[in-house]
Amino acid sequence: MRPLMLQGHERSITQIRYNREGDLLFSSSKDSKPNVWFTINGERLGTYNGHQGAVWCIDVDWTSTKFISGSGDMSLKLWSVETGKNIASIESKSSVRCCNFSYSGNQAAYSTDRAMGQDCELFIIDVRTMDSSLNDAQPILRLPMKNSKITSMLWFLDETIITGHENGLVSIYDTRMGREVNSVKEHTSVIQDMQLSRDMTMFVTASKDCTAKLFDADSLVCLKQYKTERPVNSAAISPIYDHVVLGGGQEAMDVTTTSTKAGKFDSRFFHLIYEEEFARLKGHFGPINSLAFHPDGKSYASGGEDGFVRIQVFDQSYHELVFE
Amino acid sequence: MPALDDYKSSWADEIELESGSLPPPTEEIDENGVKTVTEYKLNKDDKKVKVVRTYKLQKLVVSKSIAHRRSLHKFGDSVNDEPGPNSQTTFVSEDINMQLITNKEEERSNDTVLDPKNQFAKCRFCNGGHFTTNCPYRHTAAYIEKILDTKPAASTSAAETTTSKSGGKYVPPFIKDQQNKNAASKGGRDDTTAIRISNLSESTSDADLEELTNKFGRKSKMYLAKDKNTGLCKGFAYVHFYSKEDAAAAIETLDGFGYDHLILKAEWSKPQYN
Repeated sequence: MRPLMLQGHERSITQIRYNREGDLLFSSSKDSKPNVWFTINGERLGTYNGHQGAVWCIDVDWTSTKFISGSGDMSLKLWSVETGKNIASIESKSSVRCCNFSYSGNQAAYSTDRAMGQDCELFIIDVRTMDSSLNDAQPILRLPMKNSKITSMLWFLDETIITGHENGLVSIYDTRMGREVNSVKEHTSVIQDMQLSRDMTMFVTASKDCTAKLFDADSLVCLKQYKTERPVNSAAISPIYDHVVLGGGQEAMDVTTTSTKAGKFDSRFFHLIYEEEFARLKGHFGPINSLAFHPDGKSYASGGEDGFVRIQVFDQSYHELVFE
Repeated sequence: MPALDDYKSSWADEIELESGSLPPPTEEIDENGVKTVTEYKLNKDDKKVKVVRTYKLQKLVVSKSIAHRRSLHKFGDSVNDEPGPNSQTTFVSEDINMQLITNKEEERSNDTVLDPKNQFAKCRFCNGGHFTTNCPYRHTAAYIEKILDTKPAASTSAAETTTSKSGGKYVPPFIKDQQNKNAASKGGRDDTTAIRISNLSESTSDADLEELTNKFGRKSKMYLAKDKNTGLCKGFAYVHFYSKEDAAAAIETLDGFGYDHLILKAEWSKPQYN
């Protein structure tokens, strides 16, 4: 199938995310308007207008009614998915780097940057009542991060939060006890992205140290490692096959200082277990910043530094692939 | 008399249509569910352009929630968009095939280069972990030197004599000239020690030729055929050696030698017939 190109953003894509059923695709970029698209034909349903700065993170709850976005304008905004109306805006002391809904969609977590004399902090808020009262509601939990900034985050069900840090640390926080339960430092550089497998027993991390690693979501044991020769910005696990897709490329600011060979901007497909690369897909003309598999595993989307989102439906040969 | 309804448009109207406004867009759906939309518009140069788009109509059975979302009104920056994808924001890119990485052998040979413990091939030239035929330096002149060194004694006897000669007793030029004269046929030039090298690449320069042949012994003359206008090599060259052995050694080594991705041909120069 020919890939769909979605050109709704004026600047580089920061994150893309499918909803649970996979009929909608959300994208955010360094311009201030997150977009939502129909995945079936690439039609744009709408944009969420209201932020003043770059949008770093987005998430949608499992019912596809609530949408949150965190921005460099030091706010977290909650939106109605269907109408694009802003429901609440929570001010923070520095820019919001990561935001996620919990599995049930009753809570949301967000983290702020260490900047302007503010420490990096992790907040958990109750989002069951979706109205403007959230604007000045107190967070359920507020955890200061002493050692390193949070750069990626995941909810594991409703009880624990997995965080990836700037120094390569991966930690698990118990939200009810409000403290760190476990942490490992397998990466040597910033963890850019973390995504859970479909059964939520494992997650894959993407790090600037040129590797992606597969962790057990409970014990944080590093199970597998996928090596490349360039920084990995995003990694996702196929919901139907033992495949991992990695996207990356050097940072835009480093393009002129690295050789042209290092700047390949393909998506790279690895076998989950054999750790072996088996395919590549070209497309973007800049580094890929975010990747996501469609929940049915038959297509995937990527958002790049070039400002495009591409939806690629796998052709038959991908599904017939056999490993010896 | 025919009913007036039969004349839906008079020819005068049609002419007006052609010269002025654009024909109305048409939509057709055939039995295979392929919708064809034909539109007419003016392009930048005010020329009429016909735009034909074909769509495949598909019916999908989806869950209620998805069906509900399909019927939502557009909002934000898309609020004024028509139903269906807007060509401003959504377009189909060219087909891109997945590149399968199946060449395991290539990977394996690369591994051996990286891992010095598993070296089963060793290059005779650069001592790298590959076969000599795969040596990345094999198309350089330094390669010849190496080959000459490592060749069995019998075949390099010619080369040896040259080295012993050049390293041995000094022979004054006039005596040498006399020797040459003895060997020379009529005229001042001796063509018996000349070789012709052909199938040289266009980019070959005098310096390259010099480098290529100076290991075999002393040369009296060297001629690289060049194009008058472009100055590029025409693909052949003549090299005159002082001794016939040197020339023989050169032919033996250079004939079939891969240089600059071409296989050279070296042979004795044929005498000129006037």
